[in-house]
Amino acid sequence: MNSLDKRLFAHFDWGLAIFTLIIPLFGLVVLFSAGYDAEGTVNLFGLFNVNFPSAACLKQAVYLLVGLIVMGIGIAIPTQTFYRYSFLLYGIALSLLVTVAGFGVVVNGSRRWLDLGGFNLQPSEFMKLGLIVTMARVLSKRTPRDGVSYRFSELLVPGLFIAIPMVLIAKQPDLGTALSLGIVGVGQILFVGVRRKTLLAIVLAVLALAYPAWEMLHDYQQRRILVLLDPESDPKGSGYHITQSKIAVGSGELFGKGYRQGTQTQLEFLPEHTTDFVFSVLAEEWGFVGCLFLLGLFFGLFVSMLRIASRTRDLFSCLLAFGFTMQIFAHVVINIGMVIGLMPVVGIPLPLVSYGGSSMLSILFGLGIVQGVSMRRLQYRPS
Amino acid sequence: MASFERPSLNVNSRTWIALGICATSLFILALRLWHLQIINGHVFRDRSENNRLRMVYVPPPRGLILDRNGEVLVRNRPSFNVDFVTEDSPNPEQTVRALAEITGQPADELLEKLTRQGKRRMYEPKLLLRDVSRDLVAKIAAQRYRLPGVIISVVPARDYIHADLAAHAIGYIREISGEQLKNPLYAGYRMGDVIGQYGVEARYERYLQGERGSQAVIVNAAGNKIGEAYSHLALPGSDVMLTIDRRLQEVADRALSGKKGAVVAMDPNTGDILAMAAAPRFSPSIFTTEVSKETWADLVDAKGNKLTNRATQGAYPPGSVFKMFVAAAALSEGVVTPQERFFCPGYTMFGTRKFRCHKHSGHGSVDLFEAVVQSCDVYFYTVGQRLGVDRIYQYAHDLFEFGEPAGLGIGDESAGLIPSTAWKAKYFRNPEDKKWYPGETLPVSIGQGAITTTPLQIVRGLSALVNGGIVVKPRIVRKVVASDGRVLEETPSAPDIVRKLDLDPDIMDRLKRSMVGVVEDKRGTGHRAALPEINGISVGGKTGTAQVASRESGIKDEDHAWFAGYAPADNPKIVVAALVENGGHGGAEAAPIAQDVFAAYFGIPDPPPEEKNAPKKKPTPVPEVNRE
Repeated sequence: MNSLDKRLFAHFDWGLAIFTLIIPLFGLVVLFSAGYDAEGTVNLFGLFNVNFPSAACLKQAVYLLVGLIVMGIGIAIPTQTFYRYSFLLYGIALSLLVTVAGFGVVVNGSRRWLDLGGFNLQPSEFMKLGLIVTMARVLSKRTPRDGVSYRFSELLVPGLFIAIPMVLIAKQPDLGTALSLGIVGVGQILFVGVRRKTLLAIVLAVLALAYPAWEMLHDYQQRRILVLLDPESDPKGSGYHITQSKIAVGSGELFGKGYRQGTQTQLEFLPEHTTDFVFSVLAEEWGFVGCLFLLGLFFGLFVSMLRIASRTRDLFSCLLAFGFTMQIFAHVVINIGMVIGLMPVVGIPLPLVSYGGSSMLSILFGLGIVQGVSMRRLQYRPS
Repeated sequence: MASFERPSLNVNSRTWIALGICATSLFILALRLWHLQIINGHVFRDRSENNRLRMVYVPPPRGLILDRNGEVLVRNRPSFNVDFVTEDSPNPEQTVRALAEITGQPADELLEKLTRQGKRRMYEPKLLLRDVSRDLVAKIAAQRYRLPGVIISVVPARDYIHADLAAHAIGYIREISGEQLKNPLYAGYRMGDVIGQYGVEARYERYLQGERGSQAVIVNAAGNKIGEAYSHLALPGSDVMLTIDRRLQEVADRALSGKKGAVVAMDPNTGDILAMAAAPRFSPSIFTTEVSKETWADLVDAKGNKLTNRATQGAYPPGSVFKMFVAAAALSEGVVTPQERFFCPGYTMFGTRKFRCHKHSGHGSVDLFEAVVQSCDVYFYTVGQRLGVDRIYQYAHDLFEFGEPAGLGIGDESAGLIPSTAWKAKYFRNPEDKKWYPGETLPVSIGQGAITTTPLQIVRGLSALVNGGIVVKPRIVRKVVASDGRVLEETPSAPDIVRKLDLDPDIMDRLKRSMVGVVEDKRGTGHRAALPEINGISVGGKTGTAQVASRESGIKDEDHAWFAGYAPADNPKIVVAALVENGGHGGAEAAPIAQDVFAAYFGIPDPPPEEKNAPKKKPTPVPEVNRE
């Protein structure tokens, strides 16, 4: 009954499928411009050279194809399998994080990758999946005793599940991912509900801990946050990214400068304009209209995902769908917020749009799981 | 499914709240975008238009090439390139014409160069002239007002301290070609990059190249630099230390001046190439600027291609040098004993055909020692017939690796050819020609006929004969050291062993003694390789004088002169092969070259000229094959 029989497709969510496809396709169009290099020859995975003027676009297309296969796998795996193996998944992800802390490869000063002979594995991507699944299990198994909202003592265990990987990832240092992990986990808890008094106490405690946490941040992280408040104070240092990014976005005005006409991004004012800052290319070349279009697409995606969450018949599936929604949501808000100067530069990608294989695969796998939840929503009737 | 409990919570209301949060967040983002793009859009548009950034690639200094003692052979010097930023010129064509006028270059040529780089972005400097003189730089600077967009960039260029020393081993660098850019091997390179095209420069390109740096320079509307946005430093290339010894190389190069040929010196115990010279040579520095058609024609002249590394790519009949390997085969196979004597009347008859010895009057009765010392052809005709061509092939090819590239790893090598019955059957179409005629074995026995070898193969073969039977792989790079001092590659002190030969030590001793006889015996053909006696270093070796018949004309050219030798005789530290194309007698032309190299290696000052030019005791023999 777990296999993909015909009945399953009755609940295939077309809305989710369409948004899942349109956003990365639009991303490819933006990437073609962002990664444009007329002289470029693309070396595809060390195998052969292709004459194509945008390496990022072509490689991303390959990642997308692979990602769709991975998404298929996510759809095919029965939801209860995730339930059954949630702790195992979490355990593997956690041990990988510990390993990376010890033996990871340092890239750009961060120890985030494990070198698996040929390709680099980013354990924090695993942890995103592991945490969503584990939190869904823990919270669905231990619903609030009063049936409505958690009290403080009930939050200790789930809190630890979130805190341990967060600290490990923040230490790498990868503040952006740690932050998004926190948003997802806390979001899942809040979804179930927390007593008002407890919530207030936690917020106060967090504020009290903010100062020591600030002291623990690296210099450059502190600077990035300070610069956010006054970017012009250091236009060529930490503020460079924000200043240039804001110029790129702002100069797009209503309709943009036109496709492949973005001077800011085409002229390489902005490093990383195919990865973390890809939104600025969109904003500069497509203007406010293009930005609203992409925000609209993401909103459509969130609506589809939350609708699936609301239609589930069991809390585990519901929290799973909600968790993946939160994951994409957190990434979108942090990334765009960073590009338009609302958030510090923390370096996390824009889901489905930023160039990068790991992020593409992990997001599409998550979306596959959510689609699977939708398709199986009538299977898990309570006995 | 006990674990899948029906949510007791009101999921619907919670998802509505979540959706509300999503909508609010996206709305805040949209508000901020409205603020940036609509309300302040024109401000940022202005700023973006004044924000002119020029990406300048900074070529990394190429790694140095050093000799085995760390002496610098090739380094870098600053050179001036003339670049052009089309964006900054109101009329690019006019500017280029003005530049052409100043430099004296044809304007069309410069314009063509510009169009070739047309894919490059407007603001990116395009290379017009490479490595121009200081005078020209001064002239251009003086007329800057006429040349908007023309900029002078300072980039490192190769500085060949010793001019054309070891040119074939070191090689040269040149701008990457369109073909190469398409090759996956050169992924990451850009048009205009200068890369190794030959020799060690090409083979170790990835190490020598280093990493390109980039600099984002902020310029004002006039194109003047007003600041720097960000930059990545160029990472200098790694240094490559060769096994070549500069002093020996100089001697070898000098010995070949005015000649065509090659000299290879190798440590027989490690395979380290100590010197590798080929003549005629080219000067690597001619490739730093544009290579004119005339220069190119001169380089690849059909008669003496200067780009050919005759040490590894030249395949020549080895002549009598090859007799040592035939002797090794004959003694090992037991077809002859060292004591067995043959009578040389100056020729031998094969059927009705007469094969001549180079000494037409004959050597009289000779044993192995005397046959080697005097290079008696009749002795080897007889021994060769007893072996048969296939046993000669078996020893020369299967044991001593003749007929296979020596594997130095820099550029294509010639494999040479060792004939055999199988080879003949394979390579000839006519059934008549496919058959091996026993008479054909005779010339092969004295290193003539179809057989060819490269000087490097001779050095490798002779090394195995004198180092106790170890066929080593020749090598030319000792180590590669990164700019931060890390050793990236280092050859171990032990040799790279291709094969250990299972030859009787007594036989090898006997062959070595006979080779010492070649140099030291009063009848020896190679006495001009001997070092002055007072130094106490004895030399062993074998001469060769290989007949050549020009293929086109059929007219006999002057013979190729060979000498292959080693020293000290009792414990060989260096093996040298010298070849002079159409040089005449091996003993007269090639042996003195080897002597120069030995003398330099052991630090023996040049013998006084009168001694060197002393008349020879007798003319050096000429091996000859006559077919009647």
